[in-house]
Amino acid sequence: MRTFLLYIDPGSGSYLVQMIIAGVLAGLFYFKNLWWKVKAFFSKTKKSDSQDNDNLDA
Amino acid sequence: MPDFLQHPASFKDPSGFVFRANDKYYRQVNLSYKEDYDLLQASGLYKSLTDKKILLAHDEVDENFTGSNEWYKTLLPEQLPFISYPYEWSFDELKDAALLTLRTMKIAVKQGMVLKDATSFNIQFYQGKPVFIDTLSFEKYDESKPWIAYRQFCECFLFPLLIEHYRQIDVQKLLCVYLEGIPAQTTAKLLPRKTKFKLNIWLHVFLQSSVTENSKSSKSKRAIHFSKEKLLRLLDSLESTIKPLRIKTSVLTTWNNYYDETILSKNYLAAKDKIFREFVSDINSGKVMDIGCNDGYFSKILAEKNTNVIAVDFDSQCINRLYVEAKSKNERNILTFCIDLTNPSPAVGFNHSERQSFADRAKSDMVTALALIHHLVLSKNVPLPDVARMMADLTKKYLVIEFVPLNDEKSQQLIANKTNYHKPYDPYAFEKHFGVYFDIEKQQVIPGTDRILYRLKKK
Repeated sequence: MRTFLLYIDPGSGSYLVQMIIAGVLAGLFYFKNLWWKVKAFFSKTKKSDSQDNDNLDA
Repeated sequence: MPDFLQHPASFKDPSGFVFRANDKYYRQVNLSYKEDYDLLQASGLYKSLTDKKILLAHDEVDENFTGSNEWYKTLLPEQLPFISYPYEWSFDELKDAALLTLRTMKIAVKQGMVLKDATSFNIQFYQGKPVFIDTLSFEKYDESKPWIAYRQFCECFLFPLLIEHYRQIDVQKLLCVYLEGIPAQTTAKLLPRKTKFKLNIWLHVFLQSSVTENSKSSKSKRAIHFSKEKLLRLLDSLESTIKPLRIKTSVLTTWNNYYDETILSKNYLAAKDKIFREFVSDINSGKVMDIGCNDGYFSKILAEKNTNVIAVDFDSQCINRLYVEAKSKNERNILTFCIDLTNPSPAVGFNHSERQSFADRAKSDMVTALALIHHLVLSKNVPLPDVARMMADLTKKYLVIEFVPLNDEKSQQLIANKTNYHKPYDPYAFEKHFGVYFDIEKQQVIPGTDRILYRLKKK
């Protein structure tokens, strides 16, 4: 099952995997960042909304 | 030039090797490793790792012991009292070793180096903690390359931990066979289906398993572009996969609540505690091994005065609990390992000498064997003369041993369903067979029982 690995250097098999994993993790990181930005954006508008309301009440 | 003997496990890496001379272990750095060794020092990595007690410290010795033309430096590392192997570690020991390897790698990357190999044999336990011992594992970091030791790290650490976490298999047994780690394909077959739906596990196990299998046909060398950011993210992902892994403690093991449930319990333990302390009070030096240590009650007494206590038991969960407890109390004097005395670690690896047998490493100045002998004789059917010889091989000087007679409640439990054990099994036979190797220095019946505690000294 593993014999082919004897003829390639220890990294080869895993380099490709690491490229893919790094890609997936980078994508995940990107979307997480995006999500935080969206969340931050809405929480900001919410805050400013409530501030506006406060002002109106006053 | 003094005589030297190259360590039989130290042959794989052309960068140097470990050898023994003047009753000490040294490490030779070869000329081929000169640049990396100099970088290890110049980058400050050696200093930051040894300051944090992550890497075993060494002194440079200005002497070419081996007379080799390849010689660049001789290092005299701090000497370790006991060498253990990953297949003797409990779950949390393996986990801590894994996290230490990742931490070492992260610090190295920040200082411009990487680990070129990540085998679990690079870690030893010293003063209650894992420590990285292979000074020659570091090489200059090329930021365009992924981690050369990634697969090895997964096979030696991540996969065994996942298997034990999800399947509650004593992974030590597997690691003794898979010396170079458990392959991704094997791990993929062993893990439950539900793990495929966990992203990190899917990436590191199932994806790796299929990619390695398919990479057989791809001969072309692809241009590889990696970055430090990607590498650190990969390391973080490994760390966050390993950190939540736990050993399931709900399963009742042999020794769970051994003392709590026995009717002998408190009075017996207090009486034994008192006699034991008397017997060992004047033996304070050297290596002490507590075999069949159970919950480590007596190992802890030994550790009050001895700095070098090795507690072993065949029950890996028991050892795990003791390790976790010792770690939480910052106990530096006890090392804990999973050893089955009726099937101790064999000599394995290349030429049967790469990894030494337990017997070759275990010789101690004092051995304590409490409430153990009835298990060996009555449940495992080891004849008394053989038990005596085994104990005599383990100790250089003292043996503190508790004889549990046949009429004892625990012995009766062991022979409840069997009649074919080696007879006679009584104090007379015990004294006769142990008398071949030992003189009796002290003996005392533990009040309230017929158990006898002996302090024997080797002839």
